[in-house]
Amino acid sequence: MRAQAGMKLLTHNLLSSHVRGVGPRGFPLRIQATEIRVSPVDFNPDFVTRMIPKMEWAALVEAAESLGHLSELPRQLEEGYEKDEDFLRKVHHVLLEVEVVEGTLQCPESGRVFPISRGIPNMLLSDEEAAS
Amino acid sequence: MSALAPEERPPSLRDPPSPLPAGARYFCTVGRGLEPFLMREIRARLAVTQVEYVSGKVFFTTNSGLTMLKQLKSAERLFLLLKRQPPLIISSRSKGKVFNEIQRLVTGDPMCWVRAVSIWRSLELEENLPPEVAKPSKRKTGENENIVTKKLKIEQTLAMPGDAECQLEKQNSDKMEEHKDLTTEKENFQEEKSENDGEKEVEHHQGKLTFRVSCRCSGTIAKTFTTEIFIHLNDIYSVVGIPVFRLPLASRAYIKVAGLRSTIAWTMASLAEINVGAVVLDPMCGLGTILLEAAKEWPNASYLGADVSDSQLLGAFDNLKSAGLMDRIELFKFCVTELPLLSQSVDVIISDVPFGKKFKLGKDIKSVLHEMERVLCVGGTIVLLLSEDLHKYLQDYKESNITWNSSKDSTDEFKIVKYVNAEEKNRIQENVSSSFQDVRQECLDKRPLFGTLVQMECHKVSLGRTEAFISKYKKIHASELQQPS
Repeated sequence: MRAQAGMKLLTHNLLSSHVRGVGPRGFPLRIQATEIRVSPVDFNPDFVTRMIPKMEWAALVEAAESLGHLSELPRQLEEGYEKDEDFLRKVHHVLLEVEVVEGTLQCPESGRVFPISRGIPNMLLSDEEAAS
Repeated sequence: MSALAPEERPPSLRDPPSPLPAGARYFCTVGRGLEPFLMREIRARLAVTQVEYVSGKVFFTTNSGLTMLKQLKSAERLFLLLKRQPPLIISSRSKGKVFNEIQRLVTGDPMCWVRAVSIWRSLELEENLPPEVAKPSKRKTGENENIVTKKLKIEQTLAMPGDAECQLEKQNSDKMEEHKDLTTEKENFQEEKSENDGEKEVEHHQGKLTFRVSCRCSGTIAKTFTTEIFIHLNDIYSVVGIPVFRLPLASRAYIKVAGLRSTIAWTMASLAEINVGAVVLDPMCGLGTILLEAAKEWPNASYLGADVSDSQLLGAFDNLKSAGLMDRIELFKFCVTELPLLSQSVDVIISDVPFGKKFKLGKDIKSVLHEMERVLCVGGTIVLLLSEDLHKYLQDYKESNITWNSSKDSTDEFKIVKYVNAEEKNRIQENVSSSFQDVRQECLDKRPLFGTLVQMECHKVSLGRTEAFISKYKKIHASELQQPS
C-alpha cells in the first residue's frame, strides 16, 4: 500500500494565497517541488470533462510545466475537447496522477512561502498575516 | 426470485439472490432522527415489499441477498425479525406470571424459531462463514419509555435441517428489581461507551429462562454462545430478533478510527448532492469520517479535507491510507475562517461544526459562514452538523436579520426576502426540544440565513447522548433575493 500522498495539480489550481491585502493577485501559487510522485489513477472521462471548465487553464499549464509534466498539453483549450479521448487522458494525467509530496508553494504577490510536507500543504497564517 | 438450491447457484453472480424467494423479514436499529433516511435508503438499495418504522427501528421485507443488505449505511444493526407484537400486558403483579408471559413470547412458538434458524443458517452459508460468536451488542433503553430490555442467551444445539425442534437448553431465572434500575440508563448507541458495564444474574432454582441483564457480550459469555437473541419490550411493542451479522452495520471495515458516527456522516453526504466531477470540501475534517463515507459512496468527485490540528491530520491520513482512498481525498492544514481557495471554486461543503467551548458562538460562526459562502459556487450545497446551541443561535440570527434593515448588515448583497410559506413559519417556532416523536424538523422557510445562503432542510438527530441538527443550505444567485413589495 502506498505510504505517501501529495498535492495534485487539480487542487493546486483552486488554491490562492489569502495573505492580507493580496486579493486575486495571490493566484496561482508558484510550486517548488523537491519530491514528486507519479502514480496511476483510474481514468474516468466524465470526471475529466466536468473538471476542465472549472480549471484556470493557463495556470494549469504553467504548473505542469514547472513540474516537468507538460507532456504535450496544449497552451490553449480547443473546442470539442470532450470527444477527444487522447486529450482527456493527457489532462487526466496532469490533474490527478502527478503529486507534490515535498516542496513549497509561494504567494506570487507577497512572497510568503507555504511548505508542503508529507503531501500536506500547510497554509495556516499567523494572526498578523491573515486578512481579517 | 431464484429457485436454485445453494449448490447450484453460479458463483459469479455479483449479488446472489437470497435462497428465500418470498423474502425474509428484517428490522434495523437506527439512530433517532435517521429513520426517514434509512427508509429511503432501503427502498433505493433493496427490492422490498414492505417498509415501515417506529422510533429507532425500521422494519422491512426483502429477498435481496446479504451483499446488498451489508450496503445499508444509515442503519446501526440488522436483525432477522422473529416476532413483533403489541406490548405485553402485565396483568398481574406475580413475578411468576410475568415470566410466563415473557417466556411465551420468546419460546412459545417453536416453528417460528425453526424457520428463523434455518433462514439464519442459510444466510450464513451464503456468506460462506461459519456461524460465529456474536460480538458485543448494544442495549438500548429509552428515557421516556417504561421499558425493560433484556437479552436472552440461549444455548442451542444446532438442529439438522428438517428437524422439527430445536433443543433449547434453558437456565435459571433472575429478579425483576434489577431491571427497574435500568430504566434510568441513558440511551446509548456506542458499543464501547456503555455506562453500566455490568452483568447481573441470579440463579433461582425454579423457572426455566435466564435473563442476563448486561451491556456487553464479551469474554467467556461471548465465547460460549453461538448467537444472541435481541428482545425489546416497551409500551409500544414487543420485538424479538436475531442479529444477521457479527458486527453492527455502523461499524465500517474501511474506517480505522471513527470520529463522527459513520451513519450520520453518510447521511450528511447523502443530502449534499455530490455529482460527478464535484469539488467537495470539509474545512474542519478532524479524522476525515465524512470524507471517507462520501468518497466511498460517490467516488467520482474530488475531495479536500482541512484541519488546524496536526494530530487530527495524522489520524485522517492514517484513515485514508487504511481505506485505500488516498487517491480520492487530499488533506491540507488551514483554518476554516481563512480558506486559501479561490472564490466560487467549491461545489459542496460538508462539515461537522465543532461542539463545545472551543468553538465560540457569534464571531466565529459568522466568519465561518462568510468564508464558506465565498468559496461556494452558485447552486452549491452546504451540509452542516450543528449543536443545539448553534442551531438555535443561527435560527435567532436569521430572524433578527429580517427584522432589521439591510443597511445594518455587514454582507454586501443581503436584501430582505419575501416569505415563501407563511404557514411554515409557525412550525419553525415550535420548541426544538420536542420529543423524538417528531422525527424530523423541516425548515421550509426560504429566507436567507446569511448573504446568499438559503436554508433548505433541517433534521434533528440523536448522537447517542446528545442531540444535533443536520442543516442543509444552498447558495443562490444574488438576483434571486427579492425585495419586499
